[in-house]
Amino acid sequence: MGQLELSAVTKSFGSAQVIKPTDLTIDEGDFVVFVGPSGCGKSTMLRMIAGLEEITTGTVSIDGTVVNDLPPVKRGISMVFQSYALYPHMDVFENIAFPLRVARMPQAEVDERVTKAANILKLDQRLKHRPGELSGGQRQRVAIGRAIVREPQVFLFDEPLSNLDAALRAEMRVELSRLHNQLGNTMIYVTHDQIEAMTMATKIVVLRDGMIEQVGSPLELFHMPKNKFVAGFIGNPNMNFIEVVCETTTAEGVRVVLPGGGSVTIPVEGQAAAGDKMTLGIRPDDLRAGAAEACLTMAPEVIERLGNQTVLHGNIAGAGQISAVVPGNLPIALDAPMDLGFDGLQAHLFDAQGVALPRRIDLSEMQLPDAAE
Amino acid sequence: MIDKYRWYEKLAIYAGMLVFLTFILAPFVEAFVVSLRPLDQVFRVPYRFITDDMSFSAYVTMWESVPRLGRYIFNSFFISCCVTLLALSCIIPAAYSFSRFSYKGRDGLLGTFLAINMVGSAVLIIPMYKLMLNLGLLNSYFAMVLPGAAFSVPTGIFLMRSYFLRIPKELEEAAHVDGASRIYTLWRVILPVALPGIMVVAITTFISAYAQQFLFALIFNSNSDLHPLPMGLYEFFGRQRIIWNELMAASLVGITPVLLVYIFLQRYIVAGLTAGAVKE
Repeated sequence: MGQLELSAVTKSFGSAQVIKPTDLTIDEGDFVVFVGPSGCGKSTMLRMIAGLEEITTGTVSIDGTVVNDLPPVKRGISMVFQSYALYPHMDVFENIAFPLRVARMPQAEVDERVTKAANILKLDQRLKHRPGELSGGQRQRVAIGRAIVREPQVFLFDEPLSNLDAALRAEMRVELSRLHNQLGNTMIYVTHDQIEAMTMATKIVVLRDGMIEQVGSPLELFHMPKNKFVAGFIGNPNMNFIEVVCETTTAEGVRVVLPGGGSVTIPVEGQAAAGDKMTLGIRPDDLRAGAAEACLTMAPEVIERLGNQTVLHGNIAGAGQISAVVPGNLPIALDAPMDLGFDGLQAHLFDAQGVALPRRIDLSEMQLPDAAE
Repeated sequence: MIDKYRWYEKLAIYAGMLVFLTFILAPFVEAFVVSLRPLDQVFRVPYRFITDDMSFSAYVTMWESVPRLGRYIFNSFFISCCVTLLALSCIIPAAYSFSRFSYKGRDGLLGTFLAINMVGSAVLIIPMYKLMLNLGLLNSYFAMVLPGAAFSVPTGIFLMRSYFLRIPKELEEAAHVDGASRIYTLWRVILPVALPGIMVVAITTFISAYAQQFLFALIFNSNSDLHPLPMGLYEFFGRQRIIWNELMAASLVGITPVLLVYIFLQRYIVAGLTAGAVKE
């Protein structure tokens, strides 16, 4: 139940191919997040799964059945839209009951199911209100209620939180994760917000220009991005990229020369020849104030004090803009050059094509099995 | 809200409104005043606006002078209602199709409708007469209802189409995902949401049907039982004299159905009925 498979799926509008051939398997109970910059085809892919867009070539199958030509309701999916798409002339009860009314379900069962959904979503006090009388978060919950009442196998969410304010969005993220744990259904969620992806997903699919760049768990994507695009997209603030030159490859990894003149060994698999141009990736949180073996010198141009930490933005000589996250109590002066050290173990290395050299880290060390299992 | 007009700008605005309203309302005021005067005092010289001999007696005697006046008013009302219903039953599906489906020749068709609207009914009256004659529709209610509906359809389609375009597509997609058919969605979702727009179209159609039926009745109908009010008013034109005061009284009474329809329907033109459907 709720297993979904895309094989060689493409989508073209006229001569423009917006989805390049794509294969993807989504297991039952997964919370999959499609993430990518706007225009990357993530919404189109979701709408193809939903049955709102025709599939140009390839097949989509749910639980082993090819659903290309089935209408949405026969696919066993339900969808929550970015704009909520509530029926303004119906009250909350009728909005949630709409799919059941379409299916001509007996009134007793409608009552039971709507009440159940309303309880899950804490809407039981609002059933007689119209959507116009509700707040943004409540409207979103009504839209979710309409999706869950039919008890589908797969839920599709198209940027459901992007119209909410920041505080409400954080709250709804938690509620959605809780809902997923409670219902255990497969959920596919589209967003351009990598924080939503990182916090809710069991599996993230990063898309760019209609192509899947990488599929993996949040930590996998964070620690072992396959290329510069994924590395730059996941994580906040964004990863710093610094142009470096390869010095040598040893058993410990690849040794590169930093712009300041120092050099550092980065423990990665693979080979690089001396003199190769490469890109070193280091997350702002992995930089720390003070000299170290691997060291960059930056004069902060913008200082963002968040209290618990301070984010610095500035230039390093000959290597462009970087950011750093340092402890909030660290004294910092604007435009005063300071040393930022890092550990080669934390760094990422990309070849000239932007493909990552695999890092030697073990993700299984970072996770314990769930207590319930 | 801040008061953004200076006193002389306000003065100019109110002066403009006064001129406009005077032009619009003066005939009604004069008609009302004439209806109150005794017939021999209507052309009194010098003109006096308010006189002692005013009374509502014309409103009583007019029913005796033209015994079928009630019937004429009913005919007018009935013809306009039929025109409105017939026109709406064409406008709504057509406008929905223009706003939601894309097919070859759609925009051309819409342009054609508007072009026809520009020609106007008076120009086409002779061909229409031939048409009615051949179809055997002359001297029936149909003869007045059909052209009335036909000429209000293009404007109605245009109005209704722009209203449908404002209804977010997601509403239909959501209903589609939930398993509703197109007809079910149209009936249960789109039409209720479009109700204010439908009411606007219904009111404009009704009013224009009430106003334009004179021409069609004059040409296509010679059965005096079926005459609408504008034709019926001719019966106040006697051989020797025209009963002006009763004519004015009958005209004013004759437009009350329009007022009633307007008051009844305008309650449905509620702004913001779509509030809460989607985030804008």
